[in-house]
This record gives sequence, C-alpha cells and structure tokens, in this order.
Amino acid sequence: MLILALGGHEFSRRRGNEALRDYMLGLVEAATPRICLLPTASGDTREQIAAFRQSMGSVDCQVSDLSLFRLEGGSAALREHLLQQDIVYVGGGSMVNMLAVWRAHGIDRLLREAWRSGTVLCGQSAGAMCWFEWGITRSTGVARPARGLGLLPGSLSVHHHRDPDRRRALLQAVSLVIPPGYGVDDQAGLLFRGGELAEPVSARPGAGVWRVESASGGGWTETQLATRRLSDPRSAIDEPDAHVAELRRTVAARSGARRRA
Amino acid sequence: MATDIARLGLQTGLDQAASPGGVVAAKRQIVTFGGGGFSMEAGNPLLDEFVLQLTGRSHPRVCFLPQASGDADHYIVRFYRAFPADRCLPSHLSLFRRLRSPREPRKHLLDQDLIYVGGGSVRSLIGVWRAHGIDRILHEAWHSGVVLCGLSAGSLCWFAEGVSTFHGPPERVEGLGLLPWSNTVHYSSEHERREAYHGWLRDGMRPGYAADDGAALHFIGDELAQVVASRGDARGYRVECRAGRVVTTRLATRYLGNGEAIPLVRAAKTERVPAQI
Repeated sequence: MLILALGGHEFSRRRGNEALRDYMLGLVEAATPRICLLPTASGDTREQIAAFRQSMGSVDCQVSDLSLFRLEGGSAALREHLLQQDIVYVGGGSMVNMLAVWRAHGIDRLLREAWRSGTVLCGQSAGAMCWFEWGITRSTGVARPARGLGLLPGSLSVHHHRDPDRRRALLQAVSLVIPPGYGVDDQAGLLFRGGELAEPVSARPGAGVWRVESASGGGWTETQLATRRLSDPRSAIDEPDAHVAELRRTVAARSGARRRA
Repeated sequence: MATDIARLGLQTGLDQAASPGGVVAAKRQIVTFGGGGFSMEAGNPLLDEFVLQLTGRSHPRVCFLPQASGDADHYIVRFYRAFPADRCLPSHLSLFRRLRSPREPRKHLLDQDLIYVGGGSVRSLIGVWRAHGIDRILHEAWHSGVVLCGLSAGSLCWFAEGVSTFHGPPERVEGLGLLPWSNTVHYSSEHERREAYHGWLRDGMRPGYAADDGAALHFIGDELAQVVASRGDARGYRVECRAGRVVTTRLATRYLGNGEAIPLVRAAKTERVPAQI
C-alpha cells in the first residue's frame, strides 16, 4: 500500500524530474511496469498526456492514460484497467474539479481498491494532495483548504516555497482548523507505506519537505524533515553538465589569476 | 400522449413574453441538439444560427461552457471561430483555469442572452458544475430568460435523466432536471445507445425525447414547442413505453436550410409513424 506524493513534478528533463520518475518506477517489482496517467485535474489536456507519454516512452514500461472527458484515446473498462496497473500517476490541475469528476464516475472508489490491492498511487500537485484528508487548492483562484479522499491522514500543500500564498494558507489553516500535515517543494516528495510516512525524498538542491503542526497557544510550527537525496539518471537540460561546469570554474580562475597578475 | 400532442400543437410560445399589464415575464427556453452545430457540422451554421436568433437580439451575448470536454483549448478555439465578434459577443467560462476566466461566474452567466454547452462526458460535466455551484446558476439563468442550449452531453444535462455512452456500455445518468423528461442523443446513428434507452423505458424510465444528429428540440418552459433541423433527414422523436412496448413517435421537424427567415416559434405538428425506427 504505497503512495508517492510529489510537491511538484513534470515529465521533462529539467532538474529532478527524471530522478523522481525513476524513484517511482523503482517502487514496483515488475520488470515492465504498467503505468496509467489520470490527467483529470487538467481536464485531460493533450499537453500533459503527450509529456507523460514521451517521458515514460524512454523507459521500459507499458503506458496508458485514462480520459474522463473525451474518448480520443479510446474507450476502456474503467475498473479492470485501473486495477491491473502497477502504478497510477495523477497529474496536476484543479483538485476540486478532479475529485468531483472522479466521484461522478466512481473513480475514487476504484483508486482506493487499487491501492489496497497493491497498485502504487503517485501524483504531483493536485495529484498528490488528493490522497490526504485536506489539501490547499487554487481551484477557485485563491489558495484555500479543500477536502481530499482521505486515504492518508492529515494535510498536504505543494509548491511550498514557489507559491507563498499556498504556504501561508497551509500554515494558517493548520493553526486553526485542518489537521497537521506537510508542505512539499517542487521536485521533493513523500513516500507513504500504509498510512505512515516511510521516506521524504528530494531530487533538487534546495527542494525540501516541512512538517507543519499547530503550536500550543496558537500559531504553527514548521519543521524541515531530513530527505533522501535522489540523482537524475542523466544531466538535466537546465543545468550545465559536469564538464561545462569544470571548464567555467577553470576559466573563471584563470581570468581571476590574469587580473591579479 | 394524446394530451401531449395536443399541447404541442397549441404551443406557440410567443404569447408568454409580455403580459397585458406590461410586466415582462421571462420565457424559459432550452434547445437540445441530438448532435450538430459547430462541434459536429463544420460549415453548416443552421442550428447555431437558430439559437442565436432565438435570443431576439441582433448582437447577442453568448457564453460557451466547455466543461464536458475538460475545457479543451482546441474546442474553445472552434467556438470562437463559429461565433465571431461581428455576429455576437462571444465568451467562455473555464472551470479548470479560473484565473483566465470571468471572475464572477454568476454575474457573467446571468448577463448572457445564450449559454451554449459543448459535448463530452455528461457525468464529468455535471460533476464539475456542482463543485462550483454552476448548476444552481444555470437554473437561475433559465428562469431569468437566458436561452440555454447544447449538444450531446450539452443536451442530456438539462433533462431529468438520459443515456450516456462513455467508457464501457451505455449508462443511465441523471441530469440537472430542468426538463422533466428523459433524453437520448445521436438517436438514429447510435444503435447501442438507442437499444439501451428503449430497455430503460420498459424498466420504468420516464418518457422523453430523442433527437438525431442535426435535429434540435426547442422547449419553452417544460414543454416541447418545435423541432428544427440542419439536415433534411434529421428528426426529433417522442419516446415512451405504453403497455410494455416502446412507442417512438417521429415529430414533424422543420428543416432550417430553405433560405426563409427563421420564425421564432412555429407550432409543431406531429406525424405518427410505426413504432419501429
């Protein structure tokens, strides 16, 4: 019963994203895992589906996506399809819309069933918060608490330091009404086994995970958790590779030496 | 049934608009396409032009609701192409990208002359609407005289119940219930959906109306006022179960492509045909 909740993740070669993808694939034993994307929160955008398929297409797995709005990808028997997956990956977007649509199709019950029968549930942003009792959503424009499915106890907020409004909303909500939880940065994540936190992970320098609780006497406490550091399988496109970095250091040192001379 | 047909024959619709005292009571109007309009009939603007003219305004305000498709960008773009600014004042409401959408959905929707609902999944459509309270606003807009229309999922949503085909076999789905009938779409073109509908009617589903691709049912209040079509062979149907048998009555359907000025409402006539369609 595994859930991997990511504070921000995209199917691109920018820093940390491939490391998290490979960490996710490492959670299942199958040599060629079956992985299905649920892009519901985005309204099943073609962009999200295309990026997922491109990234997953470069590793050994069986890829599918399940649309709840359009049948461009063909019709599927929902229950059989979801229950035979090794991993279900839930993309980002509107958490409120996603949960409403899932309930309209009975997907919420199927995901709970899949989780109990061994499918790893994974997702980022809305697709991470949805597993908890509460998340901090921007579905209506402003950041505010919204109920999730409650497979995991407590609350989760995402893009923790990139979106200060969300962080503020989490701290305030935890100090007043919602249960304690976590704030997670982009390219960081939390692995849960059953209802227990098993491992916080980070795939980018500076990407962290915070435990947020209400303080006795009012207010909140925000405590950074130690994370396991994950590395990208190849150099990311938004960072220079090691050789270029070394060359730049050398050139900088030489020009410094020239100036001193 | 006989009573219904009598009512259909008598319904002219126009008399409700103004009372002798000068107080204008809003006319509640819904037009449901069995399929068609810009979504399905590129190059054939007849149904879209019909709903624009129903508003009675030369430059009506039209808001597109694309939630059944997940607010698909490519669909929204096609709406703006089909409803250009020189014919109307087009807008759309996105519930997935709220920041790029009108700030106050209620005010925006109540300001419209026409609300046009696109196709896709009716379950997803109603789920998203309820999450944002749009279902209540649409009810309010209907009562305040905004013309409501849509195709496929955008047709089913207005009825008490209907037949949806999405992943897997056809399913019985509940709509918003503004119209106290059942509904099915793509009637002649989707055999499986039609058979499922007939089965549910025999099991006690309330009687209702069906429409072919290219046919549109125009309701005033709860009652069907007329059936119009963008294709010569498209029809609307009254479908009900009587003594255990499904009876399908093909309704007189006015083809909109004869070049004549479109009257706002002409009394519908009915013709009886054998039960088998």
